[in-house]
Amino acid sequence: MKTKADLSIDFCGVRFENPFCLSSSPVSNSAEMCARAYDAGWGGIVFKTLGVETSFKVVMPSPRLNAYNLGDKRFAGLQNAEQISDRSVADNIADIAWLKKKHPDKVLISSIMGYTDPDWALLAKMSEDAGADLLELNFSCPQMAYKFSGYRVGQDFHAVEAYTEVVKKASKLPVIAKMTPNITDMVKVAMAAKAGGADAISAINTIRAISDINIDTFIPLPNIHGHSAATGFSGPMVKPVAMRFISDLYNAKELGLPISGIGGIETWVDALHFLLLGATNLQVTTGIMRYGYRIVEDMIEGLTDYMTDRNIISLSEIIGKASQKLVDPSEFNTRYQVVSVIDDTKCIGCGQCYISCHDGANQAIVFDSLERKASVDETRCVGCLLCKHVCPVWDCVTSKEVDTSVVKHAAIF
Amino acid sequence: MKLVDTRKIRQFQAMRDPMSLQASIKESNRCLLCHDAPCSQACPAGTDPAKFIRQIKFLNYKGAARTIRNNNILGTVCSFICPVEKLCEKACSIKALEDPIDIRGLQCFAAEYGNRFKLEPQEKSLKTKAKIAVIGCGPAGMSCAAELAKMDYDVTIFEREAKSGGVGRWNIPDFRLPGSAIDQDFQNLQNLGVEIKFNSAIDAGDSISVLLAEGFEAIFIGCGLSSPFTLKMFEGFTNTYDYNSFLRMVKVNRESLQLQDKSVVVIGGGSVAIDSAVSAKACGAAKVYLVFLESLEELPADQEEIELARTMGILFRPASQVSAVISDGNRITGLTGCEIEWLEPGKFVPSNATQVPGTEFSLKADVVIQAIGTSPGKEVSQLSKGMKTSGKGVIRVGETFETSIPGLFAGGDVVNGGATVVQAVGEGKKAAVAIDHYLTGRKAI
Repeated sequence: MKTKADLSIDFCGVRFENPFCLSSSPVSNSAEMCARAYDAGWGGIVFKTLGVETSFKVVMPSPRLNAYNLGDKRFAGLQNAEQISDRSVADNIADIAWLKKKHPDKVLISSIMGYTDPDWALLAKMSEDAGADLLELNFSCPQMAYKFSGYRVGQDFHAVEAYTEVVKKASKLPVIAKMTPNITDMVKVAMAAKAGGADAISAINTIRAISDINIDTFIPLPNIHGHSAATGFSGPMVKPVAMRFISDLYNAKELGLPISGIGGIETWVDALHFLLLGATNLQVTTGIMRYGYRIVEDMIEGLTDYMTDRNIISLSEIIGKASQKLVDPSEFNTRYQVVSVIDDTKCIGCGQCYISCHDGANQAIVFDSLERKASVDETRCVGCLLCKHVCPVWDCVTSKEVDTSVVKHAAIF
Repeated sequence: MKLVDTRKIRQFQAMRDPMSLQASIKESNRCLLCHDAPCSQACPAGTDPAKFIRQIKFLNYKGAARTIRNNNILGTVCSFICPVEKLCEKACSIKALEDPIDIRGLQCFAAEYGNRFKLEPQEKSLKTKAKIAVIGCGPAGMSCAAELAKMDYDVTIFEREAKSGGVGRWNIPDFRLPGSAIDQDFQNLQNLGVEIKFNSAIDAGDSISVLLAEGFEAIFIGCGLSSPFTLKMFEGFTNTYDYNSFLRMVKVNRESLQLQDKSVVVIGGGSVAIDSAVSAKACGAAKVYLVFLESLEELPADQEEIELARTMGILFRPASQVSAVISDGNRITGLTGCEIEWLEPGKFVPSNATQVPGTEFSLKADVVIQAIGTSPGKEVSQLSKGMKTSGKGVIRVGETFETSIPGLFAGGDVVNGGATVVQAVGEGKKAAVAIDHYLTGRKAI
């Protein structure tokens, strides 16, 4: 009898029944929505970012979304020009209080964005008083209509440190600083937040991007009455970039703060990837916008099975395990070389490997046009495995190690 | 296989719409974009589906339309009627993993796209080269003429009928092939500067000598098959048709057939038999029987056509043979028949059939349609003295589609005895190359 896997986590001293949270976005716009998310199984929510409307009145642009499609694959990414909450602080605070009363065991993170020191302090204090468990500081929205806010703050180390300090003074709650990826080195900004007293880092917010252009009018999309802007891009397409940032943060020994991972999570495997790179907590928006709150069911079940099958009792056993395998490319062992192996019982004779290797690698695939079978010329194969990645049969191409002390490998001269 | 909308069949409207842009993007993205693609190798006309699918995938829709038109002057027609499951789709590599790519659907999309967005016409023939006569404006003739025009020959097509298209125009029902598709392809042919003489039958004895005397330096015969076989037992009866005249009436004057509530028996199991049966049903016949020698598995008609017939409620009498006519004066009132077994496997001819005792049946028959094959018209063998034909009258040609008379070429049904449109297109193209070689004195490859 295997021990039941436990998905619960401790993040900044707060217990989450599972690491899956809504990120601050339209999916966490109101108490009614968040309550449904809790009921669906999400361990926590980051309530949509509060701002002080007397400092700046938010009006949402319209339309504010554009999906990036890859061929027939829709919604590979999503660009948005969404602002922080356009509701009044009073309404949002009332919602937070109601949610915490109705769901005391679920975690509520209040996301806040001030335009001035007093704004930050006010929002922190009000959130704490309403019962929020943690604060997330929005240093990263890439399209705020208020000019010195969002990612522009997140690119300014001093502002990040100063605002974090203001919040820490105003409230006893643990503070998560949310990073923008629109910067060269995220660790430096995270260190500034740490210097200001941040207890954790969340990343990534969306990547500034242009997802499409109308080729007749020359107006990029979304077309907001004749204009557009480079705004936040999210979804499965950003996941590889997000994962890189998570590993950077995790491997920065001087930082040493827990990480809430965000960026293209849709499945339990995506979630696991973020955990393995060092995130303890996870946040999702785009997947929910596409498929609804229900996607958490498969994340919980899939991750539980993964852990049970491997006798992993607690997520803490695996967090960061993959980041530990990352080294500088200068440390690669290049005496280890492989060549491709094509299983000709599985080869369906499409010749994609031939085309790709011929034009994009080292001309190491031999294609028999009569038999319609591909094979590997091991004297030319450099072991890049491009063929494996273009093959439509998932398990047709594998690789084997070459003894480079005996065989002359094409990659080694 | 998607079921067709039988209401459209009854109204003789094209039974499927061109594939939408959305569906085409999705379908083209399934394509593996094979090296040395088997689908393209399998196309008798060299339409090159691998290329036009790749063009669709890379959003080059006009390019796709151009590929189809430039490679196959009947590209629009083929996109409606090509038996893809026996050709390109049969060869599709992805079949090892999932359903083949819907190549006909993609061809239909691209051809329609080119037509709708007005692809620039191909360059007109400069007519700087020899005069060539083409007999018949059907698939083989149109294809041969187009290729020759592209090589700047001065081509004239002589067509017996008042319209282009041949078998597609007169024999293939509108629900399978709308006339607009033929018109489109014919427009493309005219854009190439080919001259067409309608109502100009070339059927007098020794016509070829006359054409040569008129200055035509090479001649292509693509006149198709115009003499359907009929059975002796039906001779003298007024309520029987051969498939050719029946389908032609369906195309031009179907009201006059008056099939409402009638019991119709179609004899035969090929595409034209099924077209006749489905057409009779669509014209309002109460019952339509399809009596054929083959078993259902052996039917030569396309799977899609068989499915269409089933959907339309055609009553199949497989492995069956008509034995005798029940009549009232000069009108057939019924048929008697019997189930058969083959004496030798794999030989689907009446002489190889033996009747199974105890399986006799009779059918009520208000109209009988005979769809048991066809042969070239009697005049074909007389066109040129010494032109060799086979027993059934098809013209004998060599590998280059040259007849026994130098300079006289032939292709399509009149040579192959009756095959597909796409086959005829391929033969027309090959003949055109051979004609060019003949005229320029180069040796054919």
